[in-house]
Amino acid sequence: MSDTKKVLSFAVELGDILLRNGAEVYRVEDSVLAILNSYDITDCDVYVLSNGIFASADEVTEHASSMIRHVPMYPTHLGRIAGLNALCREVCSKEITLDEAWAKLEECKRIPSYNFPMLIIATAIGCGGFSYLYGGTVLDALIACIVGAVLRLFLHFEARMGNSKTITNVLASMVISLTAILFYAVGLPVHYDKIIIGAIMPLVPGIPLTNSIRDFINSDYLSGSIRLIDALLTAFCIAVGVGVVITFAHFIGGGAYI
Amino acid sequence: MIADYIIQFIIAMVATLAFAMIFSAPKSELLFCGLSGAIGWISYSIISTVLGAPTLGNMIGSLFLTLFSRSLAVKRKNPVTVYLIAGIFPLVPGAGIYYTSYYLIMNNMETFGSYGLSTIKTAGAIVMGIIFGMAFPQSWFNTVFAPSCHKSSSH
Repeated sequence: MSDTKKVLSFAVELGDILLRNGAEVYRVEDSVLAILNSYDITDCDVYVLSNGIFASADEVTEHASSMIRHVPMYPTHLGRIAGLNALCREVCSKEITLDEAWAKLEECKRIPSYNFPMLIIATAIGCGGFSYLYGGTVLDALIACIVGAVLRLFLHFEARMGNSKTITNVLASMVISLTAILFYAVGLPVHYDKIIIGAIMPLVPGIPLTNSIRDFINSDYLSGSIRLIDALLTAFCIAVGVGVVITFAHFIGGGAYI
Repeated sequence: MIADYIIQFIIAMVATLAFAMIFSAPKSELLFCGLSGAIGWISYSIISTVLGAPTLGNMIGSLFLTLFSRSLAVKRKNPVTVYLIAGIFPLVPGAGIYYTSYYLIMNNMETFGSYGLSTIKTAGAIVMGIIFGMAFPQSWFNTVFAPSCHKSSSH
């Protein structure tokens, strides 16, 4: 087939955007292969890591082409994954041509997230809810709501400074524990640890950790290790942030606050 | 007791729905994301308090929510990831990871070790639940839940 290169670049671009928005390794692999196969390119190999794609097609013909992509890890965007999945199905069933598909792919890339006020409300409610579920009282949950809103505001303004993920996590968890301990220090009858647990939920890498173990069990050991190390590093940063603030609170309060 | 579980169900649902928004789930699917989170949490909560087996609870919880997510994926023609990622959020050992690294930094090695092991155990149990849930043949879901008799969502 003469348009191997066109098909391959579309398939890899779709895989790239899927991976970038947090899709699993096997889904990316399956999607790229499905598109290639639907265009009768069966002599192909696709190797996907959690931050890279390697693909080659029709290696023995004169249309041989191969592609390598480096895909940095970004926050999960489920809306784009859903959109791309639908697009992939349309392409595979040949409902649309490749050119139309490229236009749709550009649209999928630009599916927006929720707007900022909605995100503040969502983070606040989520943090409060988890603080309650993990054993906090109703008052703890309410305070966790406030701390969650503060966290989202902080993340929003901190994003403009262009700090690395490490620094962002350390600073954000410091802000969380400072705010939580402040409420405790003014004398409210709250459990500051339950508030902190609820409020760090948007930061802690619970889902990367679970996904990394899923990768291990799917025998994608390399992807699993990459995600595992990423998860552990994130957790470590959060603990540093919280640890620093709590240690200082002990020091300043002499045990009175904590 | 029952009222307590109902409250937990509602709070887990609202909290999962809120976090699904942070993960930018499509607007039309938010309610279902919340439901799948609530189903996972309530199964975990009931099993861990009634049988006193939190690890089994994690596994059964994630098994139920995987099955629920797969049914929704077929019914609503979306990838299963949308419901699964949002739904496992209440179960994932976020607090465990935090406590583990916190006690490492506080130089409390005994507690660090026990939290670390229990975190890995929890994550493993959740993954086992997901794997069992994924092992059911896709055709079962297609015949029961597909909107038309046409071929439905992949995965």
